[in-house]
Amino acid sequence: MDQQIGIKKKTVTPITVIIYIILGILVLIYVTPILWMLSVSFKTNSEVFSSPFGLPEVFQWENYQIAWSAGKLGIANFNSFLVCLVTLVVSMLIGSMAAFSIGRMRWKFSNTGMLYFMIGMMIPVHCVLIPLFVQFSKLGLTNSLLGLILPYITFSLPLTIYIMVGFFKSMPTELLEAACIDGCSIYRIFFSIALPLGKTGLFVTGLMTFVNNWNELLLAMVFISDATKKTLPVSLTYFVGPYSTNYVQMFAAIVIAIMPSIFVYSLFSNQIVEGLTAGAVKG
Amino acid sequence: MDRILRDKKAIIIFIAPGFILFTAILLIPICKAFYYSLCDWNALSKPTFVGLDNFIKLFTKDKFMKIALKNSVFFMLFSAITQQVTGLFLAVILSNIKKGKNFFKNIYYLPCVLSSAALGLLWSFMFNQKMGVNQILAMFGIDGPLWLMDTKGFIVLPMWVIGFVATWQYTGSTMMLYMAQISGISGSLYEASYIDGANKLQSFRHITLPLIKPMVVTTLSLNCIGSLKFFDLVYNMTSGGPNHRTDVLATHLYNEGFQYFKYGYASAIGIVLLVFCLLVTFIINKGLKVENYEL
Repeated sequence: MDQQIGIKKKTVTPITVIIYIILGILVLIYVTPILWMLSVSFKTNSEVFSSPFGLPEVFQWENYQIAWSAGKLGIANFNSFLVCLVTLVVSMLIGSMAAFSIGRMRWKFSNTGMLYFMIGMMIPVHCVLIPLFVQFSKLGLTNSLLGLILPYITFSLPLTIYIMVGFFKSMPTELLEAACIDGCSIYRIFFSIALPLGKTGLFVTGLMTFVNNWNELLLAMVFISDATKKTLPVSLTYFVGPYSTNYVQMFAAIVIAIMPSIFVYSLFSNQIVEGLTAGAVKG
Repeated sequence: MDRILRDKKAIIIFIAPGFILFTAILLIPICKAFYYSLCDWNALSKPTFVGLDNFIKLFTKDKFMKIALKNSVFFMLFSAITQQVTGLFLAVILSNIKKGKNFFKNIYYLPCVLSSAALGLLWSFMFNQKMGVNQILAMFGIDGPLWLMDTKGFIVLPMWVIGFVATWQYTGSTMMLYMAQISGISGSLYEASYIDGANKLQSFRHITLPLIKPMVVTTLSLNCIGSLKFFDLVYNMTSGGPNHRTDVLATHLYNEGFQYFKYGYASAIGIVLLVFCLLVTFIINKGLKVENYEL
């Protein structure tokens, strides 16, 4: 079969060439803005207009220093990281617990429970924004990172549960039975057998949770007004404005904001892609 | 085994944290939002019940709401069509090529994991009056348009630009979902079709398309809902300007709620958005009847 396709491929070279040209053009469209941003971030303001697409003559590293300190990106990075990490751990724990009871344990309302959580997939954050904001300001949770973590966890739950239920359902029963015969309690079964077996699922959901919350703008913008508690997207939005003319520093700030993601992505891209595929098929 | 899996106490312990959080942070606020949407309320006063006034005002008097609705619907259709077409096209092509599959896949998926706030800012510079695209056009002696400031036409130019950027950013995820589905199709089906003398196009039409139909429903719903609640890119590229011509529902809600502090009114916009999302999901699920084939 494979061989046959291989032979067919060779006979239709022009089409293959066209396909690769199209793919190549798309790659250019995807990569050019990012490379352009990188090169601009090392230039001086006048260079941006005199040689827009050349390499910078002298690499202006201080653009980054200024952007880092003026944009308060250090503290923003720290805040984002803290919020995302806590959200990640808690939502994975709570989510997979709920998913285990829905997907594996036997009770009358397990389907109803699933449906209940799935409502969350369809509800846009925007419509709970105002009630949540009012509620949280009464409780004193606005302007604190906890006030951000709680909704982030909640909004990560539906996806986590959706994917993890798929994983738990497809898990072989024999292992759980064996543990059961050995006298494990249900908690032990969950923590030392089901969770380790669902590693792939946890990886995918964890990744998606982290990415979504790392990039979240609206909630963070509404809830946090204190400059020392802003997350990365918010700090960036305030620092970079279309009417300011200090282009190079703004570009440096954008680079600082997305480089960690690109770095992590290029380290794990194959696992990420595979994990996503596995998750999608399972789900 | 069965007894352990029916342990009521364990079930409650497992599901309670999620259930409580979900109810407190999502369900109760939603109900509240319904109530608020029927109230006249700004940040200073107490909510007073006014019935459907907010909605009547929203649909008859508010001319920015008209623009926002128009733009949101345009944005939804545009993203759904472009992302479906390019996503499916790329998925089919990448599933069939031998060399560089992973390379292309990784590149196309990259923007999906990046912050759309940051990418929005980047693209707003790309389409700046004096920079980026216009600098390229200037090399060919063309005077580029004001990409993000133009206000002519029924759908203004900035909306097309934002639509393009959204497609650029999110096509990758549609592509991935389709690729996952395609990789699940057994090779023997294709083999059989080739033996029967089908060409690639025919096997795509009669094997791939019917078998990925469940995924069409999923990705189409995701595309539509995702583009209806779009905020980051619009906010960071145009902030709804010039003169609210690029407002979408989400930015309109943000402005009314957190710039003018009309909580009741903004809640009404939120409800409209919610109804929209539910309606679209419903239509897609009903409209595209899914037959699940055994693979």
